[in-house]
Amino acid sequence: MKTFSLYVEKDSLIHRIDPINKILYILTAVSVPWILPSMAVSFLWMLISLALLAAARVIRQSFPVFAFVFLVLITVVLIQGWFYPGNRTPLFGAEPFVFYAEGLMNALRIVVRVINIVAAFLLLVLTTKPADLVEELVRRGLSPRLGYVLDSIFQILPQMVKTTRTIMDAQRSRGLETEGNLWVRVKAFLPLIGPVVMSSLIHAKERALALEVRGFHFEGERTWLREKREYPYSRALRAGLLLVLGLAVVWRVLG
Amino acid sequence: MTRISVKDLAFSYRPGEEVLKGITLDFDGRSTAIIGQNGSGKTTFVKLLKGLLKPTRGEIHILGRPVSEMTAAALAPYIGLVFQNPNDQIFKSTVLDEVMFGPLNIGVDPKRAKEKALHALQMVGLAERAAENPQDLSLSEKKLVCIASIVAMEPEILILDEPTIAQDHAGTATVRRVIGRLKEQGKLVMTIIHDMDFVAENFERVIILHRGTVLADGDPREIFSRRELLERAGLGVPHITRLGWSLGRTKTYLTEAEFIRSMRGEGAADR
Amino acid sequence: MKKIIVEHLKYRYPQAENLALDDLSFEVDEGEMVGIIGRNGAGKSTLCQALVGLVPHFYRGAYGGKVTVAGLEVMRSSVSRLSTKVGIVFQNPFTQVTGSKWTVYEEVAFGLENMGVPRKEMIERVDYALHLLGLEDCKDRNPFDLSGGQTQRLAIAGVIALKPEIIVLDEPTSQLDPRGTEEVFRAIHRLSEEGMTVVLVEHKMEKIARYCNRVMLLDEGKLIQFASPASVFSREDLTRYGVAPPVYTRVCRELDAKREGSPHFPVTLEEAREVLKGR
Repeated sequence: MKTFSLYVEKDSLIHRIDPINKILYILTAVSVPWILPSMAVSFLWMLISLALLAAARVIRQSFPVFAFVFLVLITVVLIQGWFYPGNRTPLFGAEPFVFYAEGLMNALRIVVRVINIVAAFLLLVLTTKPADLVEELVRRGLSPRLGYVLDSIFQILPQMVKTTRTIMDAQRSRGLETEGNLWVRVKAFLPLIGPVVMSSLIHAKERALALEVRGFHFEGERTWLREKREYPYSRALRAGLLLVLGLAVVWRVLG
Repeated sequence: MTRISVKDLAFSYRPGEEVLKGITLDFDGRSTAIIGQNGSGKTTFVKLLKGLLKPTRGEIHILGRPVSEMTAAALAPYIGLVFQNPNDQIFKSTVLDEVMFGPLNIGVDPKRAKEKALHALQMVGLAERAAENPQDLSLSEKKLVCIASIVAMEPEILILDEPTIAQDHAGTATVRRVIGRLKEQGKLVMTIIHDMDFVAENFERVIILHRGTVLADGDPREIFSRRELLERAGLGVPHITRLGWSLGRTKTYLTEAEFIRSMRGEGAADR
Repeated sequence: MKKIIVEHLKYRYPQAENLALDDLSFEVDEGEMVGIIGRNGAGKSTLCQALVGLVPHFYRGAYGGKVTVAGLEVMRSSVSRLSTKVGIVFQNPFTQVTGSKWTVYEEVAFGLENMGVPRKEMIERVDYALHLLGLEDCKDRNPFDLSGGQTQRLAIAGVIALKPEIIVLDEPTSQLDPRGTEEVFRAIHRLSEEGMTVVLVEHKMEKIARYCNRVMLLDEGKLIQFASPASVFSREDLTRYGVAPPVYTRVCRELDAKREGSPHFPVTLEEAREVLKGR
């Protein structure tokens, strides 16, 4: 694992959209169903988010995440169906595990919202190169130093994993047993933590020096190797999303 | 007496890309240097010997025991590997504890472990620093602590991965001295190394690995005489060897002492 | 023209008892290639860091004396400002990779972006640096995919792109194999030929003797000698300072073979051959 990114390389319209707008979409997709808590609205947004994922042609890559989420959601459905406080109308099942209509309705509400949120996040994560996202944020005012930290996570972490493996090898060579039952593995943990932390700190210090002498803390305007990317419909989308958000608030306020 | 027996050893990190392509070698008591460019498979080979990796094909026997049936930790009493980067290993708060870690792991009782640790520290010249925190030592001192920590386990076979990197003159002399003592004790000392001067002066056998196969296997004088082979493998020769050749000598000199003796006319004529 | 002027430099790390640098005074001319030698702990790395401002600005500690590099006084200039005049390359190739860039090309541009260099000039400088270090074929590869020698050349390229007048290299080939070492030395030599002032710390004495105009011997933070390689390596008391001269010098000393008309011994292969060929 040389790098650490979920980005899926494809050429869809969604891929070419400004990452900031995708973040804005997440905000909108989460806020609107919360502002207007009707089932219809939540369902509509879920469909929109899923449709966008399909348009980006990343549905297949979303499966593992959704599979995990479904496992969790099944628990929610069971708990809500059986034990929701507002339960009155039994639908099916046998004592003491009877499914009630109210509980199931509530569970459905939760399921739809969760799928919506997960889909909105996946839309960002699967169609955006981390470097592009960070670049947009820094261009808009995020501290370049923080931008560097975000950028480097994706490549430095796998390097740390590699170092950890080497450290494990070094300790195994000295007779530390790491293969075996759980207790053996737990005992092996301590002699690994020390060097892992130490070497990470040492590497971090060396890297900090190297960054320092390449103008990391340079005061003044920075420039960009890459041309500023023009994203299609960027302003229109942003206006549109904010408009929708605004309308939702107005609708709510007006009752 | 064969200490290590390797038969048709092959290994791939990823399917289809063989890093080691079927190596067959036997190691007796002769101190051995394994040389070769980065990517030739030296580190992989050594990790396989230590049981840190499992071969995709072939067998390794260490002192008669099949490596495939043992974990890396179980092999530690018989074969020790000093890693290149001391920071990948050091975690105790005193030098003595660090050196005792290995012996304690392989079942030596605390009193004997302490004796062995102190003895090993004496060998590398760091006995007075036993109570200090290893992190306060310089990089080359840390490397010597790592050597001590393996020596203290008293394995019959010791492998040193790049022991002379970052060492100054005194550090290199210490490493040389330690290798000498280990050889006197009858241990098999192996090393992966780039310093050809050091190889020529201290090792009885040189194996060249190139692209996963054994390109050459012989004593230093044989190996360093084969100029085109070394060039093909991207390797150099000791400085003194080069000097001898540039003076038109046919002999492949391995040490300064040898060269000087010859220049003074004390040796056989080697023009 | 004097590129580096060091006057009575003294430095002590925080919480240390002894001075790491003890009253150093010397000057380096433009275009010189200077080698610094000495046992581990003599102060070589500390001196390197003092030339680029990491000492004292990064490490703090007690500082005395004055260091001027390319006209800038180190004490009064930030590390960022100094980085435009003097670059430094460290021992470990891999921790000099920023990790925030996905291609070699972008990696080299990192410093230029920070310093606000206009794009057109940025591209010229990156191309130049990649060409000088022989990395053009690698420019689209991921920086973590390179070998040790290539990674170290990448680090040098990243520094060269900033167009410093002086470059300091602290044991740059220590972790490299012979081929990587050769690549790096060749690159450094090319830089020196282009007029850059080079300060190099190394343990490989044969290389220092071959490439450097002058050699500085340090011990316990003090300057012992700063002179030609022949002069420094011919000293009788080198081992007292924990340093051994090149193989060629050692051999010639034993054979009492000095250079023609000189009080010094040969320090390179060619010089040794000249002197010994009659014997």
